Amino acid sequence: MTSTHATAPAVEFNSASKTYGSVRALDGLTVRLYSGETVALLGPNGAGKSTTLDLLLGLRNPDPGGRVRLFGTTPRQAVTGGRVGAMLQSGGLMEGVRVRELIELACALHPRGYATEQVLAEAGITELADRMVGKLSGGQEQRVRFALATAGDSDLIVLDEPTTGMDVTARRSFWSAMRAQAATGRTVLFATHYLEEADEVADRVLVLHRGRLLADGSAAQIKAMAGVRRVGFTLEMVPDGVLEAQLRALPGVTELDLAGAAVRLRSTDADATVQALYALGLYPHGLEVTGLGLEEAFVTLTSRAEETGHLTTDDKDKAGIK
Amino acid sequence: MKTLVRLEISRSLRNKKFMFFSVIYPPLLYVLIAGRDSSGNMPGLPVDLKLYYMVAMAAFGAMTAVLMGNSERIAKERETGWVRQLRLTALPGRGYVAAKIASAATVSLPSILLVLLTGAAVMGVRLEAWQWGAVALCSWAGSFVFAALGVAIGYLATGDAVRPITMLFYFGLAFMGGLWLPMSSLPGWVQDIGAWMPTHAYTALGRAVETGEAPQLSDVGTLLGYLVLFAGAAAWLYRKDTRKA
Repeated sequence: MTSTHATAPAVEFNSASKTYGSVRALDGLTVRLYSGETVALLGPNGAGKSTTLDLLLGLRNPDPGGRVRLFGTTPRQAVTGGRVGAMLQSGGLMEGVRVRELIELACALHPRGYATEQVLAEAGITELADRMVGKLSGGQEQRVRFALATAGDSDLIVLDEPTTGMDVTARRSFWSAMRAQAATGRTVLFATHYLEEADEVADRVLVLHRGRLLADGSAAQIKAMAGVRRVGFTLEMVPDGVLEAQLRALPGVTELDLAGAAVRLRSTDADATVQALYALGLYPHGLEVTGLGLEEAFVTLTSRAEETGHLTTDDKDKAGIK
Repeated sequence: MKTLVRLEISRSLRNKKFMFFSVIYPPLLYVLIAGRDSSGNMPGLPVDLKLYYMVAMAAFGAMTAVLMGNSERIAKERETGWVRQLRLTALPGRGYVAAKIASAATVSLPSILLVLLTGAAVMGVRLEAWQWGAVALCSWAGSFVFAALGVAIGYLATGDAVRPITMLFYFGLAFMGGLWLPMSSLPGWVQDIGAWMPTHAYTALGRAVETGEAPQLSDVGTLLGYLVLFAGAAAWLYRKDTRKA
């Protein structure tokens, strides 16, 4: 490795787009991931997650004008050099072989492959080793795929919706196996549509919607951004005129609904809103602050983008996202 | 790469149904066509009918097994996404093609040997020891060409189209190359085209041996040329396969 490679980002997308016929699956993605990051690629179905990963892994090429680089090289070079381990949602398994044989193959094909037994143990599938691949449950297949992705000393692990088909227990043990991978200093990128997973595991979250990068920040920032709260109260003494403007100017307020003395508003920072409310000398009665569920928050985030085409800079400022 | 070749071979051996029918049907066809009581030479050829069909069926059976087996299995593996997963490893295209040829060759060898055994034991074909060895070797090595073609077809076609396309190649090549009927009994224009078919060179190898001669170098060259062409195309298609199945 030359010194340029050592400083190159693990992953670099430069205005990468992908069009299938008339459908633009990915629309000018520009993003860099750095070594050691655990990044969640979050988005509903059809957001462009799989396309992003396909481009990243060199399974497809971006439309002309876009560029994807891994460790300063082409995706294919990175794959051939064993720098990437990947688990595809659409990746089938070889049939007619035992789990151990398949993992043995993955270890042998990797330029810096680990010992088969070690890979089996770390993926938690030692007890499945003698089973035929065609006879596994969906969740078991996922763990075998994970083992394929971690069969050698790769610098980047890419996982496409890794916990699909797993029950809660399997999910938990899967994420602990993945954390162990991240703890060794690897860059991990995983696609998911579960906000909880992104929240628990990732230290950086990319929100993708309709092929565009909607948000890029820490899990907390994304939650704040999406985590709008409803604040409701009534005001006894309503000073005319200035009130509505004053309420709108409260920190974090994104929406305001006045019906007589009843006030309902939405805030991205309910604590600050309420505090400022008292500071104004107003006395809210029956104050209620309710959060949106995580899923609902996510829906809010994406549907807001659907209305406007993208998030406003205002939204981003509020959430502290660049 | 060695691990993949080994794994593909043991997979083939485990696929008992495919193995059974691929192995059993060429000798069966041979007995049906050449019959027990028919004797004498092939019309227009100085070759005994039973010997002629033994060599033809050894080649034909091997070709069937490798062409069908590879094209359909590969199309299926593309569909399930196994090939996508495999493309995320350092495996080069030629490694993939080599493994597929090896797995096909695992099936074609026993099928060839069984036809020869039927010829010797049931049909009373008599050859010199070197001829037995040479027929087996030529039929087997020649089948690699069609195994490579099978890989390429598996990449050209998807899903439902695989079988008809394979059939087209299969019947076209078998008929025009003189696997079913001697070339001399075919129309002139078919003979002209057929002379360039890999199947023609393939049968010519066995034909030379059965008349007691060494195989023609030109036929060996033709087959090698096709092997390079088909294997190269297959490896290229494997690398280029960016379509989703």
